[in-house]
Amino acid sequence: MRKAVSRIRLQRLTRRFGSVTAVDAVSLDVADGEFLVLLGPSGCGKSTLLRMIAGLLAPTEGRVLLGDADITDVPPRRRDLAMVFQSYALYPHLSVARNIGFPLRARGWSRAAIREKVAEVAAALDLTELLDRRPRELSGGQRQRVALGRALVRDPGAFLMDEPLSNLDAALRAGTRAEISALHKRLGATVVYVTHDQVEAMTMATRIALLDKGRLEQVGTPAEVYDEPASVFVARFLGSPAMNLIDATVAATAAGLAARAREVELPLGIDAETPERPVVLGVRPEHLAIAGQGAEGGIRAVVEAVENLGSEEVAHCRAGEARVSVRGPRPLGLRDGDRVRLTARPEHLHLFDADSGRRLAWRPAPVTTPA
Amino acid sequence: MVTGAFVEVPPAAQAAGGAADAPPAGARSRAPWRALWRRAVRLAPPYLFLAPALVLLVVWTYRPLAQTFYLSFFSWNLVPDVPMVPVGTANYERLLTTPDLADSVGLTFVVIVAMLPFTLVLPVVVALLTRRVRGRAAAAYRALIFAPMLVAPVAGAAVWQWLLDPSAGIVNTLLGTGTNWLNSVDTSLWAIIAITGWHVAGFAVLVVSAGLTGINPDYAAAAQVDGASRGQITRWVTLPLLSPTLAFLLLMTVLLSAQWTFPLIDTLTQGGPVGSTTTVYYLLWEYGFRSHDAGLAAAAGVLFFAGFMLVASLLARISDRLSRYDD
Repeated sequence: MRKAVSRIRLQRLTRRFGSVTAVDAVSLDVADGEFLVLLGPSGCGKSTLLRMIAGLLAPTEGRVLLGDADITDVPPRRRDLAMVFQSYALYPHLSVARNIGFPLRARGWSRAAIREKVAEVAAALDLTELLDRRPRELSGGQRQRVALGRALVRDPGAFLMDEPLSNLDAALRAGTRAEISALHKRLGATVVYVTHDQVEAMTMATRIALLDKGRLEQVGTPAEVYDEPASVFVARFLGSPAMNLIDATVAATAAGLAARAREVELPLGIDAETPERPVVLGVRPEHLAIAGQGAEGGIRAVVEAVENLGSEEVAHCRAGEARVSVRGPRPLGLRDGDRVRLTARPEHLHLFDADSGRRLAWRPAPVTTPA
Repeated sequence: MVTGAFVEVPPAAQAAGGAADAPPAGARSRAPWRALWRRAVRLAPPYLFLAPALVLLVVWTYRPLAQTFYLSFFSWNLVPDVPMVPVGTANYERLLTTPDLADSVGLTFVVIVAMLPFTLVLPVVVALLTRRVRGRAAAAYRALIFAPMLVAPVAGAAVWQWLLDPSAGIVNTLLGTGTNWLNSVDTSLWAIIAITGWHVAGFAVLVVSAGLTGINPDYAAAAQVDGASRGQITRWVTLPLLSPTLAFLLLMTVLLSAQWTFPLIDTLTQGGPVGSTTTVYYLLWEYGFRSHDAGLAAAAGVLFFAGFMLVASLLARISDRLSRYDD
């Protein structure tokens, strides 16, 4: 039923508004059938990027390709893409049936064919009872489904979704998240999905593209971007509470290389020597373990507050100038004012360049044996 | 062996105990007038805020309305020392038997229908075409369109009289005709309508532009992605969503066309020639202040008021239904 190729390629796509660069030379390859999430804080350019893919906004530079066709200058109505808007943009004067049927009406389908197709889509989305209602008579979740139905009705080459869940309450959002994921699996369609919600990104995406200030920070599977953040921005953006980031120095010790700061000494598990260099040390709250008082090294911290998350607890601590949070099963057994020693396994430590914020990886130098 | 039973845990509010809810003894025995005064002071502000508007409405609208109704049952020539003679419904009978009334209602209907191109069609076309003008150009453009509205009708009339002059007027010079626009039965009403249209079209463009700005641009964007052409978007999305604005303009046109034309008729044609520009308001004015027949004028006023009221309520109901489109 579906068209064969709906791969979307962006080549150095750029959009400037006056002196502001909203999207800065973004190149991205969205494979056929992929669920790509554009993730970033508000103002990072993700919605601008999506609107350029949809054709609603002309790029200042760069190209958009759908399949093998260059669609940069093709008007939106000839692009074979469907879009779900954050506001849903359901036509308020039309019934649910006419809203869903709108794309077919624009394509000149016959009334009977439209009715048949709309009924099919409505049945799939559990909207059959609501076909005669106006959008204002629907709940938030129902409106969301109608918007989805309007996108589904014409079997488009790809789906574009602009924060489609942000107007739903928390319980409904979790359910709809699962529905959209299931829909994607069933249709095998290409989806480009914009959100600022890391939970949506982590749970739904086959790949996540993280944007910051119009630039692409990292593209990868949810596991990749979470486990190996490419920059301090990515490290800080994903995870709740955010990754602990401590200004530190890498130095050689008797036990190999270690990251050091005031009250901090964590071995990196690398038995080598390297000149001292300033870094940003990152470690996720769930990767910190509370060690016995006798242990050597680690982070010596004072507990400042303990948050109860129900199943888990987060302890917010201070170590030297740095703030460090620890996350673990409840109860952690910590109270305000407690002195703790925190350790982490070397593979859970992330190092970033102190200036550029990019991830640092260890490259052993070729062994030079003295002559 | 230890025995026991499960006991329901009481909700928090109940557990806290109910003693605090009881009012303290003796609170009600305070002086009742003081409580009343306090209540009055607390309730007064909204009415005080409403008072100026209410007073003006009563003094300038409702009182004259009631007086007109009262006056319509008397014969009086507006001279203060001459007594008002009660005549019952004679004024209404006279009014309904003269051909003047039907003629003026017919003319007013023509005026209203002929005004619609200026207040609905033209403004929608202009507003849609100029939607893409942005920034400073848009402001300058709007000022240009709105300018005629700022010209006092009487001043505008003086200039138009000069432009439409049968021998030296620029209109005849440009058209190469020798029509006596304002003084021939065939053209006088159309001249009045065209001048009024020139006068109010800018205002209507502004209203439509405001209506267009109020439409969420997401609808047009969604329609574009859904595959609609520009014409389809205008017909299927923009115009239906603009319908409350259009209904408002229709209401304005129906209710106010006769008023808009009045100063022009009074300065340019005085209802003539041969009554060809005597609309309902001009008829009323003629009865009252030309023939000094206050009773007849009042009766005409009452009838027109009732008629316009009926039309207005009908249109208001339609526009209400349209307005519910908005989410």
